Amino acid sequence: MVDVSQHELVPEHIPIEGAELDSVLEEYGLDRTDLPEIKANDPALPEEAETGDVIKIVRDSRTADTSISYRLVVE
Amino acid sequence: MSMQTPKQLGGIDFGLMDPETYRDISATKVITADTYDDDGYPIDMGLMDPRLGVIDPGLECRTCGQHSGSCPGHFGHIELAAPVIHVGFTTLIRRLLRATCRECGRLTLTEMEMEEYREELDRAEDLGKDPDTVLKAAVRQARKAGSCPHCAEPQADIKHEKPTTYYEVQNVLSGEYSEIIAEAMQPDEDDEDDEGMSPQALSDETGIPLDRINQILGGEFRPRDDGRRALEKALDVDLTEEDMNKLMPSDIRDWFEQIPDSDIEVLGIDAEGSRPEWMIMTVLPVPPVTARPSITLDNGQRSEDDLTHKLVDIIRINQRFMENREAGAPQLIIEDLWELLQYHVTTFVDNEISGTPPARHRSGRPLKTLSQRLKGKEGRFRGSLSGKRVNFSARTVISPDPTLSLNEVGVPDRVASEMTITINVTDRTLEEAKQYVANGPETHPGANYVKRPDGRRLKVTEKNCEELATKIDAGWEVNRHLIDGDIVIFNRQPSLHRMSIMAHEVVVMPYKTFRLNTTVCPPYNADFDGDEMNMHALQTEESRAEARVLMRVQEQILSPRFGENIIGAIQDHISGTYLLTHDNPHFTETQALDLLRATQVDELPEPDGEDETGPYWTGRTVFSLLLPDGLDLEFDSSAGDTVIIEDGHHLQGTIDEDAVGAFGGEIVDTIVKQYSETRARVFINEVAALAMRAIMHFGFSIGIDDESIPPVADEQVDEAIDNAYGRIDELIETYRAGDLESLPGRTVDETLEMKIMQTLGKARDSAGEIAEDHFADDNPAVVMARSGARGSMLNLTQMAGCVGQQAVRGERINRGYEDRTLAHYEPNDLSAEAHGFVENSYRGGLTPREFFFHAMGGREGLVDTAVRTSKSGYLQRRLINALSELEVQYDGTVRDTSDRVVQFEFGEDGTSPVKVSSSEDFEVDVEGITDRVLDAEFDNDSEKEAFLTPSESPTNLSEHTDTALSSEVESDD
Ligand SMILES: [Mg+2]
Ligand SMILES: [Zn+2]
Ligand SMILES: [Zn+2]
Repeated sequence: MVDVSQHELVPEHIPIEGAELDSVLEEYGLDRTDLPEIKANDPALPEEAETGDVIKIVRDSRTADTSISYRLVVE
Repeated sequence: MSMQTPKQLGGIDFGLMDPETYRDISATKVITADTYDDDGYPIDMGLMDPRLGVIDPGLECRTCGQHSGSCPGHFGHIELAAPVIHVGFTTLIRRLLRATCRECGRLTLTEMEMEEYREELDRAEDLGKDPDTVLKAAVRQARKAGSCPHCAEPQADIKHEKPTTYYEVQNVLSGEYSEIIAEAMQPDEDDEDDEGMSPQALSDETGIPLDRINQILGGEFRPRDDGRRALEKALDVDLTEEDMNKLMPSDIRDWFEQIPDSDIEVLGIDAEGSRPEWMIMTVLPVPPVTARPSITLDNGQRSEDDLTHKLVDIIRINQRFMENREAGAPQLIIEDLWELLQYHVTTFVDNEISGTPPARHRSGRPLKTLSQRLKGKEGRFRGSLSGKRVNFSARTVISPDPTLSLNEVGVPDRVASEMTITINVTDRTLEEAKQYVANGPETHPGANYVKRPDGRRLKVTEKNCEELATKIDAGWEVNRHLIDGDIVIFNRQPSLHRMSIMAHEVVVMPYKTFRLNTTVCPPYNADFDGDEMNMHALQTEESRAEARVLMRVQEQILSPRFGENIIGAIQDHISGTYLLTHDNPHFTETQALDLLRATQVDELPEPDGEDETGPYWTGRTVFSLLLPDGLDLEFDSSAGDTVIIEDGHHLQGTIDEDAVGAFGGEIVDTIVKQYSETRARVFINEVAALAMRAIMHFGFSIGIDDESIPPVADEQVDEAIDNAYGRIDELIETYRAGDLESLPGRTVDETLEMKIMQTLGKARDSAGEIAEDHFADDNPAVVMARSGARGSMLNLTQMAGCVGQQAVRGERINRGYEDRTLAHYEPNDLSAEAHGFVENSYRGGLTPREFFFHAMGGREGLVDTAVRTSKSGYLQRRLINALSELEVQYDGTVRDTSDRVVQFEFGEDGTSPVKVSSSEDFEVDVEGITDRVLDAEFDNDSEKEAFLTPSESPTNLSEHTDTALSSEVESDD
């Protein structure tokens, strides 16, 4: 089977936690439930991601080189 | 004038209202259905009781003592003879009936399950999810319970008959149980081996004593549940029937009263504010008179509001109900009246319930009751709150005026002297204001109203204007007429994008239409076939400043949709620049100056050369005069050559749609991005003016002869089409012989269709090519198609060569009669002409059959557009509703109203599409721009350094006051 997450058009999905996560939530003044969501069964997610994790997504951008966003994994 | 203190709402609680509260806030009980007595006075305790508020001037409210206008109106109440269901809560009532015990009122869930759902509800709230899914799951779970876990009472299922009837459904022993059993004991006639069952055998099998079996068969004993099940099993029959027990609203009310507060919390109801039994109404609030005013007709008769009519019905039935009950009327009549009362209360709340006939007015018109006042496009929310009618606005037909700047709008004088702008009189504006007032309301730059410092508004009349003018002083407000240079907002519906509403500067003109420069047609999507547009005059200094800086047309040249210009040359402008630059014609001095007379250029450069008539200037040189200095560009034009511009000089190539057109004209786009909006505005205005002069210089017209081709070409076209017909005949023969090979994934029939379509397509193309070869390059239709001004080569070849295949739903025309399209053809004729191929040209004329097929294809196009506009309109509405409250916050994130993040950076790159280069090939030369600007501005480095320390940027200036600016633009050249 094709592992979609390895496709070149699928941006990097990196689970973050601890200090890194805290600093992101701090920076934007957010609860983790205020984050946009991603379904736990999304094929772009890495194997180890679980419901409740926060994922950092790094996309390529023509105008901004890279664009970073964060999502909460939900059921 | 009294200044009202702004108040802040802490929050709004939604919930049900206690009948006791209804009684408490009620100004009076309403008992009579009558409204006014013979003298026209409101009847006491009637529907127009003066305690409910007053609408007639002169009368005094008996509740608050105020007069009509200041009295807000007060609720009354009707004591209903029997409780009725509120239609707005039928689903919630159904849910509660299904989820609670009919005996003890508890939720039929165990304590553990309840705790679970409580937690899940909290979790859903935390995550901002819809709690309804949890509630539904809880109800589903509770409904499954066969008996109450708290009192063990067996639970019946609830059937809901819309809108307001509920039944308890129970499986009970059928009344014909003995017959069913006897029948089942008979031997099967079709089966010889089956001897039936004797009562003794039945007794053995079920364990019921024989005499009991006999009693059952005799109908003397009704078997209980256990016995019934045993009998059913032994005989393989169903002995039950459904028993529907209607639940009266009073039963439901009693039932709901038992439900403990703690249990309904699991179902998401806040017991503090909303007890479930309040969904069954015992008291009906009567809306204040001010909410249902009666109107007096011309003949002096009063006409009551629909709500009042409905309330009359309710009171009448209510009274009849009470009288009948007191007189001890039979249950049947009572029930009928109860249902009638329910109907009237239901339609009072909502008169568009499916399955219920709407209550009608005497004339047959359905009544507009409470729900109808709120719902839909004309309802309170969409019609009166989100959108309402406004003052200081005007609407009329639009027409073109090429002499206006694209920033301007021509306003008819009669509009200008009706619509006003409010100016605050200060020491500085005092003389001016006095002059406007002195001119009066009829002389053009006059005034219509003034407002004194004490807040009193006075109308300026021809009589009092002189005297009023002397009284004007600082602190007054004057509503003066619109004058040249005022900024107004201009709009064309449907307002689908930002550029549908732009700010223009007023130019007062005679006649009755709004005039606009044709270059602003694309953003408004306007034409002049009767289009109307709206204008709004701005009333405060702040709004005028904002409109000028943010909304003026020149600030909207670039579209945020695709980041390129949406305003530019269109149609004849493009034909004009094409004629001017394509063959680079020569002009004498007089001609060149004539071309430029509508621009700011009044001096010609050195001539390009000399011919027999004297010195000449080329078209490209003339065009170059409009370009800013230092502009370097190179791109391919749609006319097929390469345009080269160096240092503001147009050296080579054709200026066409790709260069100066709306929707991404390269030169316009570059000037906005590298110079300024103002420079681009000047450029577009001047290109339009120059192009109009150019097209008038050369002359440009089109007639039927411009689409004709020589007879030789006609013959060639015929030959090409004949060849195609020949090939199609061959194809059909092969197909009929069964020798046609199907293409992969297609049936033979589909293959044939595809091949025929292909052949005919090629035939049309070659006919087109033949026609195209015979058109001269200066053919006006060709000029328009090549330059991108209007039309295409396809349109042209359809006019001259061959119209081609007509299609419905992407296929050849196959509909009509059985096996044929028209009665003119044999059944199963597969030929080209029998399926909508039009071999003639528009100029040559279509045959009747071709014409018919052409109309079929044309109709599809019309239907498509109609369907598309309605679909996309609804889509647009939904999209706007979904996105309208998103906001970019100061931290750069885009969030909704509950502060949830939608994007971490606007557009994921934090840039505006109009501020970045529109394509990778045309990077904006930022360094170049700064260097050029700085070098032009400063003579030495120290001045430059001093300037580079940050300072305030100037606000935009009116076109009428910016002579300084335009000379600056000129000095650029
Ligand atoms: Mg129109
Ligand atoms: Zn009042
Ligand atoms: Zn119970």
